[in-house]
Amino acid sequence: MMETATEEKRRRDVSFGEMYTWHEGMEWNPVERVILERRSVRRYKEEQVPEKLVRRVLEAGRFAPSAGNSQPWKFIVIRDPGMLEEMEKYVRLRCRLLKFLLDWESSPLGRLSWFLSQVYIRLMPNELHPIPFGAIRLIADGKLRLFHGAPTVILVLMDRRGVSKPQVDVGICGQNMVLAAHSLGLGTCWVGFVELFKFGTKWKRKLGIKWPYRLMEGIALGYPVGEPDGMVARELHEIDWWEDGRKRAVF
Amino acid sequence: MGYLTFRERMTIPTYNDPEACRVGKVVIDHEKCNGCGNCALICPGACLYVAGIGKDRKAYMIERMVPDCMSCNDCAAICRRGAIKAAHGYDFGGFYKVLHRAEMVPPRNF
Ligand SMILES: Cc1cc2nc3c(=O)[nH]c(=O)nc-3n(C[C@H](O)[C@H](O)[C@H](O)COP(=O)(O)O)c2cc1C
Ligand code: SF4
Ligand code: SF4
Repeated sequence: MMETATEEKRRRDVSFGEMYTWHEGMEWNPVERVILERRSVRRYKEEQVPEKLVRRVLEAGRFAPSAGNSQPWKFIVIRDPGMLEEMEKYVRLRCRLLKFLLDWESSPLGRLSWFLSQVYIRLMPNELHPIPFGAIRLIADGKLRLFHGAPTVILVLMDRRGVSKPQVDVGICGQNMVLAAHSLGLGTCWVGFVELFKFGTKWKRKLGIKWPYRLMEGIALGYPVGEPDGMVARELHEIDWWEDGRKRAVF
Repeated sequence: MGYLTFRERMTIPTYNDPEACRVGKVVIDHEKCNGCGNCALICPGACLYVAGIGKDRKAYMIERMVPDCMSCNDCAAICRRGAIKAAHGYDFGGFYKVLHRAEMVPPRNF
């Protein structure tokens, strides 16, 4: 009850800055608000998203910029609860295996596990960064879900033959869809852990993930429980600013 | 601000060593918190829980030596009472040393 009341309030109380213009200190315009208020949503209602709404979100992806207009993406939409559940199970099993091999704190392999983790972290410093390393353990223990119970998932595949750096294009395309979805009242969460499907021959065959396609990311989509969106504090980044023949640091 | 020394670049931090790593950390204002538990339900690091009964029901951070908090502030966003927020960003040091950052601030409308 309280939730719906605050939700409504949020919708009514907004005063927006104008679009397509700027003056100092003006209110956030609707586009900025969506960008700044978007948070990753990790709790969804069971209610399915209407097909037309998903189609509308996909349109935002179709019109993303891409190097040489090569549009090096392919989408797979999954809305079958049984299938999503199976995918979830598969990833949990994979994470259990990884935890068994690499999590030196809990692995029965002891020192061998420490050695393995040190080798693999050096080989895959991005995939095994401390944050995903911790997430592997959490997924294995059932404390973090793959798709967070979202009723719709968009898998974003990359065509390896894209112009220049197709990874960048795929990221832009995905974020277009994410922002459109939030502006339409949906919640989303990027799901990098779909990476683990690349170890599953069965899933790759079923989903048709083969050359020239590479599965890049998943996007969970659904109606959020509560009000997860909102502006928060984040780290300032030091920016090098060159002007008047010298450089200064700007935050 | 500097970059990485050669030594840092070659050092993989021990992920579960609180001496080596500064992980995310939240501060919870128990005056404001009503123990609704929303933050605990959505925390991607599973590092929050609620305990206590009635008026004393409040959110806490788990007692793991190195919790999986990534300072995302998603807990702060979902909290209707403004009772929780990340105190600082994470920095695992060594190879993963965080570069060119400063304190956490909300969006600024220049
Ligand atoms: C490429 C990418 C992959 C991600 N993968 C996951 C994931 O597998 N699971 C998850 O819960 N969150 C995932 N996230 C969400 C991030 O954790 C989140 O964006 C970050 O903590 C910042 O929080 P915010 O999105 O609420 O601003 C991913 C985000 C990106 C951009
Ligand atoms: S969401 Fe806020 S009020 Fe609810 S338990 Fe967490 S900190 Fe307390
Ligand atoms: S900042 Fe993010 S990871 Fe840390 S406690 Fe809050 S929701 Fe969890």
